[in-house]
Amino acid sequence: MERGDKAAASTDLLRARGGDATKGCILLNYLSEGFLQGFALIFSGNEEVWSAVAVTLKLSGLSMLVTLLFGVPAGFALGYFTFPGKGFLRLLVDTLLSIPTVVVGLFVYAFISNRGPLGQFELLFTIPGMAIGQTILALPIVVALTASAVESADSRLRFTLLTLGARGRRLLFSTLWEGRHQILLAAVTAYGRVTAEVGVSMMLGGNIKWHTRTVTTAITLETGKGEFSTGIALGVLLLCLSFVLNWAVSFLRRRGAA
Amino acid sequence: MHKPPLYELTNIVCAYEDEPVLQVDSLSIPDEGPVAFVGHNGSGKSTLLKLLSFLLPQVSGELRFLGKTPDKRDDARLHATLLLQEPYLLRRSVFENIAYGLRARGENSLQERVVEALEMTGLSADFARREWYQLSGGEARRVALASRLVLRTRVLLLDEPTANVDEENAQLIAEAVLDAWKRWNTTPLIATHDLQWLDAVTQRRIFMRRGKVERIAY
Repeated sequence: MERGDKAAASTDLLRARGGDATKGCILLNYLSEGFLQGFALIFSGNEEVWSAVAVTLKLSGLSMLVTLLFGVPAGFALGYFTFPGKGFLRLLVDTLLSIPTVVVGLFVYAFISNRGPLGQFELLFTIPGMAIGQTILALPIVVALTASAVESADSRLRFTLLTLGARGRRLLFSTLWEGRHQILLAAVTAYGRVTAEVGVSMMLGGNIKWHTRTVTTAITLETGKGEFSTGIALGVLLLCLSFVLNWAVSFLRRRGAA
Repeated sequence: MHKPPLYELTNIVCAYEDEPVLQVDSLSIPDEGPVAFVGHNGSGKSTLLKLLSFLLPQVSGELRFLGKTPDKRDDARLHATLLLQEPYLLRRSVFENIAYGLRARGENSLQERVVEALEMTGLSADFARREWYQLSGGEARRVALASRLVLRTRVLLLDEPTANVDEENAQLIAEAVLDAWKRWNTTPLIATHDLQWLDAVTQRRIFMRRGKVERIAY
């Protein structure tokens, strides 16, 4: 290669490396600006951001209330009693643990849309309608983990409660109380699933601003619009929630093992 | 007036996964004080205690308690309580462990009764505040015993009460059990192969072997 060609090749290489470095700088600036603006939105009390948080909390609160009301007793029954078909039922519950959220959204949509059998209740694009879908997502988690908690309970527990005079509801509540850390773990795990899902909320809620827009659907929308900072703000809040949930899970696991 | 026997067993069979583990053709346990069931591991002592405390049903045969066949095992369990060989403490405070059975019976004066039961097992009233995970093995066993003594049931069944227990604790258990009998007529029925300890409690023995009653010595 002639000297001139060598020099030209070196310059091109430098330009390319410099271009990569420039691109890297631009990307870092983009991210850091996004984060800075995101935190600014959070701490300035941006209404859209906090509306999404409020809807998320209302929705997840409602769905978890219904889930625990039905899921804990169902889980107890599945774990405690022996009955025909128990094995199949357990398999079904375990299978539903990983049901895709959009599939749940699709089926519930078919039921609560105007042409569906529950159309007259006008649940589509409402928080209660979304809660139906999230309950279906969360229920298998609570049932399966509660059943596991009851099944893995110390074999002496039942004899101890019975010989001390427990029966009926006292026996039920005492057994659940002894497994309370594992049941709380089930609740926290289910809560994590419902707060992080998008499919059900999008299909059944319609992502309506101020009404049914949750943190996850808002992130999807804002990022699609290029509103990176709003997406970041919501993402940070969701991460904070995930952190708190995981800390709770870890704490409950340690208490349960004690 | 003729006192009915504490228990009468007739053609009793208990099974585990269709395998008979206890077969008693005829046994009458008189209501005359502590009785011990003696035998090696696998002789059926624990199964017999669970049957007599109405925790396990028999596959066949008749079990009479104080002259009557119990209608409901739930009701019968209020009169006979069992201390398991390896006692299980509920995941709560000592007070709540001991008071649990009293609450199940709708009884009042919990504080007094709990303290009394603690003192019977050689533990101070302050112990009531401790949590279940703060107890040593010996303390846990004594709390479990206290939770049965406090109920003042007609019968107290104990499965190997001195297993893994030092001499001092074993003596405490013997004294507590005899004290309950004297105070409240709570008859102890004890499954053990600790014959030396047993000598301090009762001479009345039922010897068991391979799920059957081999010999009665009283």
